[in-house]
This record gives sequence, C-alpha cells and structure tokens, in this order.
Amino acid sequence: MLKVVKAIALNTFRETIRDRLLYSLVGFAVLVIAASLLAGSVSLGQDARVIQDFSLTAMLVFLLIITYFIGTQLVFREIERKTIYLVLSKPVSRETFYLGKFLGLCLTILVAGLAMAVMFLAVLSLKTHQVPTAAYFAVGAIILEAWLLTAVSLLFSAFTSPLSSAIYTFGVTLIGHSSATIWLLSQRSHSVLKSILEGVYYLFPNLEKFNLRNDVVFNLHPGLTQVTTILLYFAGYTVFLLLLGLAAFRRDEF
Amino acid sequence: MSFKAIDYRRFTLLAVLIAFVVSYVAQINFDAWLRYSPSKLSGVSYNVFIEPQPLSGPVAKAVSFGATEFMADYYWLTLIQYYGGGTPNGQYRKLAELFNVVTDLSPKFEQAYQSGLIILPGEGFPDAAIALGEKGQRNLPNSWEMPYYTGLVYHIYKKDYLDAAKQFQIAADKPGAPPITKLFVGIYYKAADQRQVAYEIFRTVYETTTDSYVKDRAGKYMAHLELMSFLEDAAKKYQAKFGHYPTSPQELVAGGIVREIPTDPLNIKLQIDTKTGAVSEVKG
Repeated sequence: MLKVVKAIALNTFRETIRDRLLYSLVGFAVLVIAASLLAGSVSLGQDARVIQDFSLTAMLVFLLIITYFIGTQLVFREIERKTIYLVLSKPVSRETFYLGKFLGLCLTILVAGLAMAVMFLAVLSLKTHQVPTAAYFAVGAIILEAWLLTAVSLLFSAFTSPLSSAIYTFGVTLIGHSSATIWLLSQRSHSVLKSILEGVYYLFPNLEKFNLRNDVVFNLHPGLTQVTTILLYFAGYTVFLLLLGLAAFRRDEF
Repeated sequence: MSFKAIDYRRFTLLAVLIAFVVSYVAQINFDAWLRYSPSKLSGVSYNVFIEPQPLSGPVAKAVSFGATEFMADYYWLTLIQYYGGGTPNGQYRKLAELFNVVTDLSPKFEQAYQSGLIILPGEGFPDAAIALGEKGQRNLPNSWEMPYYTGLVYHIYKKDYLDAAKQFQIAADKPGAPPITKLFVGIYYKAADQRQVAYEIFRTVYETTTDSYVKDRAGKYMAHLELMSFLEDAAKKYQAKFGHYPTSPQELVAGGIVREIPTDPLNIKLQIDTKTGAVSEVKG
C-alpha cells in the first residue's frame, strides 16, 4: 500500500509542480518578500522587523492560496477528467488514492515553502547579517499550518465544488486564526450563544497554535513543550480531518 | 488546449494588468488633487482624506487574524508617512491614536513607545505621551527607557519635577540604566524643592556609583544642597538677631553671622527670601 501511496503522491507532486498557477504564486511571493526590503527602508530603522513580518505573512498567504486553489481542485479534476476511473480500476483503494493526493500536495507545499523561505532568509541575512533562530521555527509552523489546511481543503473537495471548497477552507482559516477572539466572546456571552461559541472554538482548528510569526521579531523561539504540543496538535487534527475526508470520499459516487 | 483559449487567457492577463496600472495612476492623481487643490475646489477639508483612520486596538487585533505584528508594521509605516507628510491643519490629530494602535498590536515594540514619547509632546499631546509611557512600562517592565523618557516629558512639557523625579527613580532601578539616571533623580527632586529626598539620593549615588563623573557631580550636588541648608540656618540666626531676614547672602557676613559665604560647587547663584528666609537658586 505504501508503494502505491508513494506513487500517487509523487505523481500528484509532478502534476501540481507543473501547474503554472503554482509558478506564478511562488514567483509573486518571492517578489513580495523582495519588496519587503523597500518597505523596511522607510520604517525608521525597523528594517529587520518589517522584512520578517512582511515576508512571513506573505509566505503564509501564498502557501494558503496554493492550498485553496490547487488543493481544492486535485480530486475534482480527476473526477471531471474521469481519470479517477483509470486509477480506481487498478488495485488502488480510495483510501490510498486520497492519502496519496494529500501527501503529494504536502510535498508541493513543502517545496514552495522552502523556495519562499530561502528567499526570505537570504533577504534577511543580506540586510541584517543575522537570522534569528525563531525564524526557522516560524517557517516550519507556517508549512505545518498549510499542510493542515490542505487536509481541510481535501475534506471539503470530497463533497463540494472546488470554488465552494476554497471558500469554506478560507472560512476555516479565518475562524482558526480568530480562536482568541472567539474564546473571549464566548466568555462574555451567556447560555446558548456561549455554548455555540465554545463549540466553534473547540471544533475548528486552532490555527493560532501555529502562529510563531509574531515572536520572530523578538527572537523568542518556542520551547520543547510548545514544539511538541504543536506537532501533536497538527498530527491529531490532520489525522482526524483525513479520516473524515476519507469517510466522505468513500461515499462519493462519480 | 485550443489556440483561442490561450489567446483569451493572455488577453485577460493583459486586461487585468492594464486595469491595475490605470487604477493606480488614477488613484495617485486623485490623491494629489485632493492634497494640493484649494479646499473650495475639492469642496472638502482635505485633512479628512489624508488623515489615517486607524481602527481601535481590539478591532485591529481581531481583524489581523493572528498577523498582529504585520498589522502593527502596517500602522507603523502609516504613522511614518502621516508624520512625514506634514500637517496643513496645524495638528496631527491622529498621531496619538496611531501610536496607540501600533503598541496595542505589538505591545513590546520598544521603538514605537520611544518615538511616541519623543514626538507626541512636541506636537501638543504631552498627556497622550505620558499615557503611552505608562503603557510602555506595563508592557516592557525591564526597560529603563520607558520611565526615563516619560520623566523627560514630565520635565520639559509639564514642568512637573516631582513626577519627573519619580519616573527617573523608576528608571534608575532598571537593569542597564545609565549611572547618570540616578543623578537625575536627585536633580529633579531638588528642582521640585524636595531637598531632603534629593540629598539622600545624591548621597546614595555618591557612595555606590563606580562612574567617576557621576560621583563627582553627585558630590557637588550634595555640597550645593548642604550650602543651601547652611545659608537657611544662618538666615534664621540673622532674623533672631536683627528681627528681619537678610536681603542677600552677603548680609550674613556683614551681620557677623558667618565669616564668609562658601563658593557654590555648581557655580549657582543663591538668593534669600526676605519674607520666609528660604534659600533658592537664582533662575536664568
């Protein structure tokens, strides 16, 4: 099974890496990172701060756009082109197919993320001659977040159209990054609303767990406990999403 | 993919690019028109247009979706552009708000507090500067700069030497504070007419500092305060002897109360109040 998963993943990776949309997104992200040099130059000596904040935010935004637009189309395209029949007629289970697609896109995101990170770190070290350790942790957390949202987009794409799936995933991203606000609101609310908000808080992924970007400016890198928590949270939630997505994908009739 | 489809894509891309460039050029021209045309022509007070309208801290935080430092940078750059752009209406009305939203979004952004404490009082917002300084002290408890800069605002813009002294005292106890800060505490207490407190502070500085300049100055301030007390005691004796206070320190010598007036180590001229006998420095 692992061999098949690997084959599908590599094939998905090859397919997505050839997508012109990916090139333009990575290219644009690299441009934005380079442009942060310009913003830094008018920041009254806050170059390092501006470069770090702008670049890391750009990295996250562009990786998420890749997730929204490529991730949501992966399975849909196979169904639309009817190539899924070719694959599933072979001794390939739906689970293997779904997992392969997920891992393939994760690999694409990793490569795109690393390309952006190389540009970011190069710009930063060129300008400030030092790279804070916290920056590496932040980059890692961004990639983990994009992977988790890939699982979300695959889940939605299993039962809805690519556009709806992209919109839903975008919604999950916004909710996930508003966890602190949601919790605050729930604590200030009463009865039914409180329960609803608490439900939303616990049910939706808490993407703020992956937000180490704000600490880079102060070079506050996470401790071992925090890193372990992030990894466990990522693993747990992603497995949950994949299982849910598989359940939906198994019921799909093409 | 058909030939037509490729052409269509290229056309769309080109159209988007052209639309972007045209809207950009139109926007900067519109901004320039609002900025430089007389208000009668545009029909509005242009300051309303160029003034940034920052969100409140909590709202800005909520809509940043976790990118609080990025949002803080955005407002920081806005602030720089706003302050650097000049103010036609005579006052940067949104300056304090901008400093607040930046520091709400990034509570440990030390440069923002420092800039605010330097810029705000000069633009007519000393109270906003003091509030910002206090916020900085809460969020950066180890920074000596926060109380130090706040103390300067109290001194220069509020002429409140007692509060300035209190701020410098807080700053002096922080790690990394320049040794001279302790000296300032004494100076401000002296300026606030808290002579006994000032003397004790100068004495502590004199006994503990390792900085030779600071030690020398502290010693001179102590001697200066001792001289003031010496003259006040002498004035009391003069009043007991002649029934009135002397009009100048030299009268103490003429009246036989003291043999000579010691030279002030800080070369500050002293005067005696003829009604109360209190000794004070001659200003100016």
